[in-house]
Amino acid sequence: MGTRVGEAALLLKGIEKRFGLVTAVRGLDLAVAQGEFVTLLGPSGCGKSTTLGLIAGFFPPDAGEIYLGGRHVENLPPFARDIGVVFQDYALFPHMTVAQNVAFGLKMRRVDRAEINARVEEALDLVKLGGLGSRRPLQLSGGQRQRVALARALVVRPTVLLLDEPLSNLDLKLREEMRAEIAALQRRLAITTVFVTHDQGEALAMSDRIAVMNAGAIEQIGRPTEIYERPATRFVADFIGRTNVMPATVGAAGSTQVSLVTVQGATIEVATAHSLATGARALLAVRPERATLATAPVADALSLRAEVTQILYLGASREIHLTLDDGPAVIVDLANDGREPPIEIGDRVWFVAAPASCLVLPA
Amino acid sequence: MSLARRAAGPWRALRWTVAVIYLFMFGPILITAAVSFNASNRSQFPPQGFSLRWWGNALSEEWLEPVLFSLQLAGATAALCVLLGAPLAFILTRQRFRGREVLVALTLGPLMLPALVTGVGLLQFFQYMGLRDYIGFPSLLAGHVVISLPFAVRTIAISLHGLPPNLELAAMSLGAGRARALWEIVVPLAKSGIIAGAVFAFVHSFTDVNLSIFLAAPGQIPVTVKIMGFLEFGFAPTLAAVSVITLIVPLTVVGIMQWLFGLGDFIYGDARG
Ligand SMILES: Nc1ncnc2c1ncn2[C@@H]1O[C@H](COP(=O)(O)OP(=O)(O)OP(=O)(O)O)[C@@H](O)[C@H]1O
Ligand SMILES: [Mg+2]
Repeated sequence: MGTRVGEAALLLKGIEKRFGLVTAVRGLDLAVAQGEFVTLLGPSGCGKSTTLGLIAGFFPPDAGEIYLGGRHVENLPPFARDIGVVFQDYALFPHMTVAQNVAFGLKMRRVDRAEINARVEEALDLVKLGGLGSRRPLQLSGGQRQRVALARALVVRPTVLLLDEPLSNLDLKLREEMRAEIAALQRRLAITTVFVTHDQGEALAMSDRIAVMNAGAIEQIGRPTEIYERPATRFVADFIGRTNVMPATVGAAGSTQVSLVTVQGATIEVATAHSLATGARALLAVRPERATLATAPVADALSLRAEVTQILYLGASREIHLTLDDGPAVIVDLANDGREPPIEIGDRVWFVAAPASCLVLPA
Repeated sequence: MSLARRAAGPWRALRWTVAVIYLFMFGPILITAAVSFNASNRSQFPPQGFSLRWWGNALSEEWLEPVLFSLQLAGATAALCVLLGAPLAFILTRQRFRGREVLVALTLGPLMLPALVTGVGLLQFFQYMGLRDYIGFPSLLAGHVVISLPFAVRTIAISLHGLPPNLELAAMSLGAGRARALWEIVVPLAKSGIIAGAVFAFVHSFTDVNLSIFLAAPGQIPVTVKIMGFLEFGFAPTLAAVSVITLIVPLTVVGIMQWLFGLGDFIYGDARG
């Protein structure tokens, strides 16, 4: 990416990090604009925390460059980088009160007493913990500890805010509450943020952009809708949401259109940015909620014969499991629109997807 | 009801076991204490009459001097063990480096050696290295640090193990240098472990006789060694009184530390203090 040093609040160029024989991060490039919320999303062990640790300066990279606010920082220790970090386990200092925890960064910066008090109070109000300053971390609930950790990181007004799975220790309801709150706070303060999670829901809901990581590198980066609607690889398509994937062969390939031949010899014209050669093998992907069922084939849509194998009633939707004739198993989500057409296990049906709902992925 | 009855058997057995253990621990001490109040010249139990003259002997210059000497020695040993042991424990728990195993072996090794062997070794070392003049307090201090350090290091290491390493990283991300993070975060949180380590080193030094017996010098004699020497003349009631004093001193130290810092939290398992 052609971003120059001056433009990005945070810039990583060709970052590599090895731990012994394990390469945790391999050739990672990332540019985060001022005030942007970027999420590193990926499965366990893909190098998200390592990347965050490299930005924070907890260990040096083996190769590559890191710029924070235009400053070249990869040789600087964490305390010289002007960052705020929120850890998964919060890492609150148990021997200090909430107020002392929040004041710590200001104390290290030799801010004078009166200003420290004012800013600590302001920060605690910001995370809705006003009045709890004299408590100890162990006397707080999980959600409250989370807020203290956030206040402690924010009070120093860091160049970037780094959050490593801050919500994963909270129960579901609190998690959803906090993710809305953190996102709102981030927008209000316009603080450049790198957020690590392996929860795609969090990533989609909170981010300006999502960087999907796989095996130490970024597989795709883009706005949540791009990542979800136009995954570039099968890995991304599988990791974010669910995807039905079937084998296909490229028929005629244009510059923006490609004609695919898939199971049962069905042919469909699909828009694509991938350049594919005629005769090449590819994958055809359809999201479960973008497919539907029909009793007869539908013109100008992908229509495949299938048999119903299982029906799961989920309240808001029904999840219909099918097996395509001469093809793989697929899933269709039928939204609960109040009509609920009768479907039985063993029914012969047509699996239908409009061309706009079909995606081409490299095999 | 039936549950309670079934539990009663084992519970009663446990209670009796504990009682017997206490009897074996405190019985001899109580007898010694009783003997020190004997009116007769012989160490008899039950004591014949009541007298404080043995206590008069025990509290004379002759015995107070070695008690004081032992106190100073144990105090210095405890201080040195903490100064050396805390950094050592930190390095051993946090850092992975070449030669770590060797350092562990060197630190904890003296635990496996009889103190007697260490004592003989140190004595020869001081003699052959031309350090004869340092036999006495300096050699005793060196020896006591060697044999007490493992206790301090282990105890401090346990308290460091309980701390998430993220705490230091959090402090550093907030602008604290490495030393500042140690001082503001690690030291206060490991405090009870550090104090417990000092207490263990103190007690271990104060009660040692195996090593001290080789390294004492005239006028620089720990009370335990003095007691050993005195035993050659038989067990006089004076010794009973002295023994009670040497028991009370370390107990008092532990008691004061407990009162000041609440060691129990640490010793009985809650490393967070
Ligand atoms: N300090 C370390 N020493 C050795 N290997 C490490 C270290 N830290 C991370 N690794 C390895 O580097 C790889 C990436 O780890 P990392 O913690 O960055 O993953 P992650 O994406 O944060 O995963 P998770 O979602 O489980 O937190 C893993 O294979 C891990 O085992
Ligand atoms: Mg991680």
